[in-house]
Amino acid sequence: MADRFFRRRELTIEEQQIRSANPRKEWGAVLKPYFLLVPTFCFLIIFTYYPLARLVWLSFRKYNLLSQDQFIGLQNYRQLFFINKDFGPSVKNTFVYTAASVTLLIVLAVLFGLWMQGERKINSLAKRVIFFPHIVAGVSISMIFAWLMNSRNGLFNQLLMAWGLSPLEWLDSSDTALGSIVGINVWKGVGYDTLIVLAALGGISSEINEAAALDNTPSHRRLFCITLPMISPQIFFLLVTITISSFKVFDLVRLLTNGGPGSSTYVMVLYIYRYAFEWNRQIGYACAAGVVLLLILLVLTVIYFKLVERKVHYQ
Amino acid sequence: MENQSKTPVSADMIKRYTRIRKARLAVDFVLKLGMIFVFLFPFYWMIASAFKTTYELNQYPPTMWPHRFTLDGFRSVFSYFNLWPYIRNTIVISLSVLVLQMMTMIPAAYAFAKMKFRGKALLFTLVLVAQMVPTQLTFIPIYIMFSKAKMIKTLWPQILPFGASAYGVFLLRQSFMQVSDELIESAQLDNASLWQIMYRVMLPMAKATLVTVLLLCFINHWNGYFWPLVMCNTEDVKPISLVIARLKQVEEGVDWAAVMAGNLILTLPTAAMFLLFSKKIIRSLAYKGMK
Amino acid sequence: MAEIRFDKICKSFGNVKVIENLDLTIQDGSFTVLVGASGCGKTTLLRIIAGIGPQSCGRLFIGGTDVTALPAGKRNIALVFQNYAIYPTMSTRGNIDFGLKNNKVPRAERDRLVSQVAETVGLTPYLDRKPNELSGGQRQRIALARALVKTPDVFLLDEPLSNLDAKLRVSMRSELIELHHKLKTTFVYVTHDQSEAMAMADTIILMDKGRIMQMAPPEVIYLEPENAFTAQFIGTPPMNILKLGGDGRSFGFRPEKGILSHERREGCAYCVPGRISTREMMGSETIYKVAVNSGVGDTGSVMIKSQDYGFRIDDRIWITVEDEFLYFFDRDGIRLRPGDRREKAALFAQVEKEAAHG
Repeated sequence: MADRFFRRRELTIEEQQIRSANPRKEWGAVLKPYFLLVPTFCFLIIFTYYPLARLVWLSFRKYNLLSQDQFIGLQNYRQLFFINKDFGPSVKNTFVYTAASVTLLIVLAVLFGLWMQGERKINSLAKRVIFFPHIVAGVSISMIFAWLMNSRNGLFNQLLMAWGLSPLEWLDSSDTALGSIVGINVWKGVGYDTLIVLAALGGISSEINEAAALDNTPSHRRLFCITLPMISPQIFFLLVTITISSFKVFDLVRLLTNGGPGSSTYVMVLYIYRYAFEWNRQIGYACAAGVVLLLILLVLTVIYFKLVERKVHYQ
Repeated sequence: MENQSKTPVSADMIKRYTRIRKARLAVDFVLKLGMIFVFLFPFYWMIASAFKTTYELNQYPPTMWPHRFTLDGFRSVFSYFNLWPYIRNTIVISLSVLVLQMMTMIPAAYAFAKMKFRGKALLFTLVLVAQMVPTQLTFIPIYIMFSKAKMIKTLWPQILPFGASAYGVFLLRQSFMQVSDELIESAQLDNASLWQIMYRVMLPMAKATLVTVLLLCFINHWNGYFWPLVMCNTEDVKPISLVIARLKQVEEGVDWAAVMAGNLILTLPTAAMFLLFSKKIIRSLAYKGMK
Repeated sequence: MAEIRFDKICKSFGNVKVIENLDLTIQDGSFTVLVGASGCGKTTLLRIIAGIGPQSCGRLFIGGTDVTALPAGKRNIALVFQNYAIYPTMSTRGNIDFGLKNNKVPRAERDRLVSQVAETVGLTPYLDRKPNELSGGQRQRIALARALVKTPDVFLLDEPLSNLDAKLRVSMRSELIELHHKLKTTFVYVTHDQSEAMAMADTIILMDKGRIMQMAPPEVIYLEPENAFTAQFIGTPPMNILKLGGDGRSFGFRPEKGILSHERREGCAYCVPGRISTREMMGSETIYKVAVNSGVGDTGSVMIKSQDYGFRIDDRIWITVEDEFLYFFDRDGIRLRPGDRREKAALFAQVEKEAAHG
């Protein structure tokens, strides 16, 4: 059975070889690569590109999954920016969260990476341990920290009290909630980013560092003139990916504070989710918020590639 | 020269130098242990809390290890929910996604790595762009799609959207590219068909990458929260993560022992995988950043 | 004065001892070439001098100063790496300038030095280019310029020509020799290529397994090898080494000292019949591989370099070597230098016996 199948294929391959040597190419051979891409692109089109287009289209409509479905132009956007007062804070919170996460994660990842270079047992252990939270469910991380940060009898406050300090309200106060979530996010993600930095550092040939040693390079100058420029492509990669992943923060917020207290941790994806699924299914309106998020991401990406990438050194 | 006779480095200095070096290494070691503590302690606390009685959990000062070891937490988890159907859902979902991704990713990665065709750069960019599109944007249209198709009460909404993995295509392409063209050409001279080349020549070379991609895929689906939250309308299609997440919301006054016990259960499989495959996972993730 | 002196230096990587108890003095102003097969310890030695792979024990003196604990950057040494190790993120100027900047040389002085050095190595038009826009030869020059600009006491070069193509290599070779002549500083040059060593060195240090097999000027190392290893490492093709009796001793001769003839020649201890198995016409000379069946080691043949290109494959010929061109080695491969006449006669008698064997 299989033999016959392969034999048949053999002939076509042979023909294909003969024909590809021929200037007149056979259609089958030309189309083959596209044919191999069909399954992937089917899924990408149905579940990525089309929904993206649909998102934009829906943002111009009033739609609630049931009867109501009509074109209303820019009404949703008007409501978003000028009528409802809750969108502004969610955008602001998302920006604050992103800025803080990006800065902390990149700085810490570079510091940890520099610190954990070199073949030592403790380094490889430390590397693994700080990476571990990255692959643990956001659900579990959230609940562990919810318990640790519990303002009544969580360990953090018990420790603060034991040391004679006044307890904090952590997730229960609008002053500290967003900061706490950023902290948890950094704790969860820094291991992965450190790995990227470490891989980049490992890519610098040892001769470069030796040449720097022979050039009597002071360590701060080695860092800023040699090491950082050489890992700049990876830092740029981190900048882009951390920005995107911070803008779509949802799990931690939803599980830890659900946007509260007040609207202090209300972020954009939570906003979209609530309008689409929890409050009267205002699909069109939620989509408009989604489009705003999409535009922010697009603009940021363009800015990154236009402005920041110039400073990146590719070899 | 002028310093012909002087020897600036005495044995004493060398000794002191090595002593300083050793002290530095020791401090470095201790600081790293501290860091390891910071990153492991929350998990330790989860484990310790899972086995404590409610009374001990609320005790002040806190106990570092349960005085009275109890399985009450686990009992209450199972009294709130029967976890098995949810675990089964998660496994069915991840396995189906794995199979689908294998089918889509291997041919695409091969075409991108080893074939020449018009529009290749553009198509590859499209794949990379797809990787950047957050599911947090596309979930509404996809939800509508499935609800229109009357499939919202099935497991499909949790499977089909992940049928193609842009990340997998990207990673697998990298490892396919490392297979030399000569090897493929010699296979062609041996009359191997395209399928034979892909599955007999290329895949064995990329086995390690494939294993990691599939491993990460499984971990992602095991851990997933946002997507099932959005897509699950009925209880019988929910994956385990969603149910564990609900432990905190079951009633007034959170039963922290149960919450920690549930999350311990949720964490165990990924922890086990990490212990077994951490090297592989770390290597391929680090590779992703290398472009 | 920048003589380099190793005092009981040893080096180990983990448990593997690469160099043990090495004493060595490299003369000030010499062009010394460290040569040997890969893994012989030559690069290790170079890195010890540079201070980037410090010794495990022993002391190192440069210009009479103990630099054992001096960091690499303070030794006033320049090293040209095999892969150049130029900073890819900096322009040509940045690369050359970097060491000066680190040593706090004033701006004006720096600019002067950089343009001067760039002129010397022919990089002036490329000063503001990034290395990835330059060719291999140009990158090589950056590496050289970076070393030159520091006016170091010692120049270390680690196989600097091995990444260049054959033609460029030959021209860079002579440029380096000229450079050394002009600067008159100590050059220590590492290579695995014995012909490069012969061409450039005024002193060759031949190494094997972390030990120095011979240290001598090229002509001495060629004409008076101290051991069979040296004799077989130097020369293209290397010396033919043949067994002498059954006690592990051996004798040898250089390929160009073997005389080919159709008839047997009298009066020499070594004269054997053979058959030509390959022939390589090189132009000014022809290299023959001759199958012989006496006294030969593993290969069953000897190489002969001859001005006469007239011999053909499968020709039956005689090989004769005059007595004065025979070298003798003991069972450990150490050169035997027979002192008195009797000893000499015994050796030649042995050779004759060996030759007659076939």
